Amino acid sequence: MNCKTVEDKLTFYLYDELEAGERAAVAAHLEACAACAAAARELERMRAVLDQRPRREPSPELLVRSREALDEALDREAESWRALVRSWFIVPPGVSALRATAALTILVLGFSLGWTLRTRVPAAATGNGSGQAPWVGSDLSNLRISGVSQVAPDPQTRAVRITLDAQRRVVLEGSFDDPRIRQVLLYAMKNYDNPGIRRDTLEVLGQSGNNPTVREALLYALRRDPNPGVRLEAAEALQALDWGPDVRQALLDVLREDQNAGVRVAAVNVLVEHADENVLPVLEQMAAGDPDTYVRLTCARALRERAREDF
Amino acid sequence: MEGCLELIHRVPGATPQLDALEERTLIRQAQRGDRAAFEQLVRLHEGGVLRLALQMVRSEEEAKDIYQEAFLKIYRSLGRFRFESRFSTWMYRVVMNVCLDHLRRAGTRREVQAPESEPGQAEFFHTLPEERPALNPERALQGREVQRRIQAALTRLSPRERLVFELKHYQGMKLRAIGDYCGTSEQTAKNCLFRATQKLRLELKEIA
Repeated sequence: MNCKTVEDKLTFYLYDELEAGERAAVAAHLEACAACAAAARELERMRAVLDQRPRREPSPELLVRSREALDEALDREAESWRALVRSWFIVPPGVSALRATAALTILVLGFSLGWTLRTRVPAAATGNGSGQAPWVGSDLSNLRISGVSQVAPDPQTRAVRITLDAQRRVVLEGSFDDPRIRQVLLYAMKNYDNPGIRRDTLEVLGQSGNNPTVREALLYALRRDPNPGVRLEAAEALQALDWGPDVRQALLDVLREDQNAGVRVAAVNVLVEHADENVLPVLEQMAAGDPDTYVRLTCARALRERAREDF
Repeated sequence: MEGCLELIHRVPGATPQLDALEERTLIRQAQRGDRAAFEQLVRLHEGGVLRLALQMVRSEEEAKDIYQEAFLKIYRSLGRFRFESRFSTWMYRVVMNVCLDHLRRAGTRREVQAPESEPGQAEFFHTLPEERPALNPERALQGREVQRRIQAALTRLSPRERLVFELKHYQGMKLRAIGDYCGTSEQTAKNCLFRATQKLRLELKEIA
């Protein structure tokens, strides 16, 4: 078996679609030929990349919605025939759809909605307080001690008074729009080390409407956050805000200067929705000169689509 | 279609598989207009159909449309099923055609969008740092970037290449079965798989 034949059969070899004899011949060739073995490894790497695509499982809600849609379509189907027959033979109308499916849909969707909104109750509440009341007999496991400043024993009563600095976990629950909640989120976004928390914070802030402080915080994150995942989240969150020169300029700066190609692509995706005489030249410039192929392609595609829409 | 059928039991509310005789009886009843029997047949196969549809299209809404259109066509043409092949083969042929139609229509619409975000993302107040020390947005970003490129590469395949590749790579079906289910020959399925892998190889070269 020569290299050309093996090249043609490589796909089927890796997908286990060759007869035993052919398979053995290809395997023997790969043992002996470095070039074909390299080609096989390249194809295997491609398969491994494609395996990273998640398998999407139908959710119960989708299943119920699909059943309901089919049920309604089947009802219409039956109804159209009945109508035809009725017009000829005057047959009384039949029984209508299965209502149980609709009821189940409402139940499932209602449950999902309730589950989704369970932490978004409008009233803000603080638990466990953050004051400096002395700790007396509460659960020590709930405290993280950062320092002890005084230990004062009383040998007569065998009591001891310990003064310490401790961090206590506080749970805040409240509406996205609650100023106290927003204040904590803004603080976390600019000052907290954990980029995962900053990203989650942005996600919440992004749904907080067009508040000027939130807007400023999103723009700050887009330009300055050290983590590209957070910057990308900020770019996407900006889509929900009113468009303005400040947002446009920040996105254009990111497209031109951000080191991360994924963030630049996210900026293109937002900018193309508002492509005007300020944006188009930059998209054209990046379509020609961005160091990343995918960014160039995305810019070029955005420009093509824009031209098609204008046409 | 073992690849698809074996997954049915993972769908909530799915009906367990029947033996051949029970299935034949159900088909006969459905052919005589028994709506409940038809619904039972739907329950048997809906998981595989919906899962395939979700893989082929971007949104749940489109997947729902494929489900509805496919089963409606099956309902309309059930009377023509003559038990000359397995019911699942006959049924999936209809499903494949509906999928191909959707992909062709989608090809004329705007392409290359990021895949929809997956459900189940954590909420802020349940994500205090100690509980998620390993969360790494940069890695998540890289993952999303890879997903985006895979999705873009897949949408550049022709509808038939896409369908064959999906069934081979993601559902693990044999090319002969794919040919049967697509109403074409094994050789045609083979050619589609070859072309699809060549295109994907070029598209994904940078990240592979």
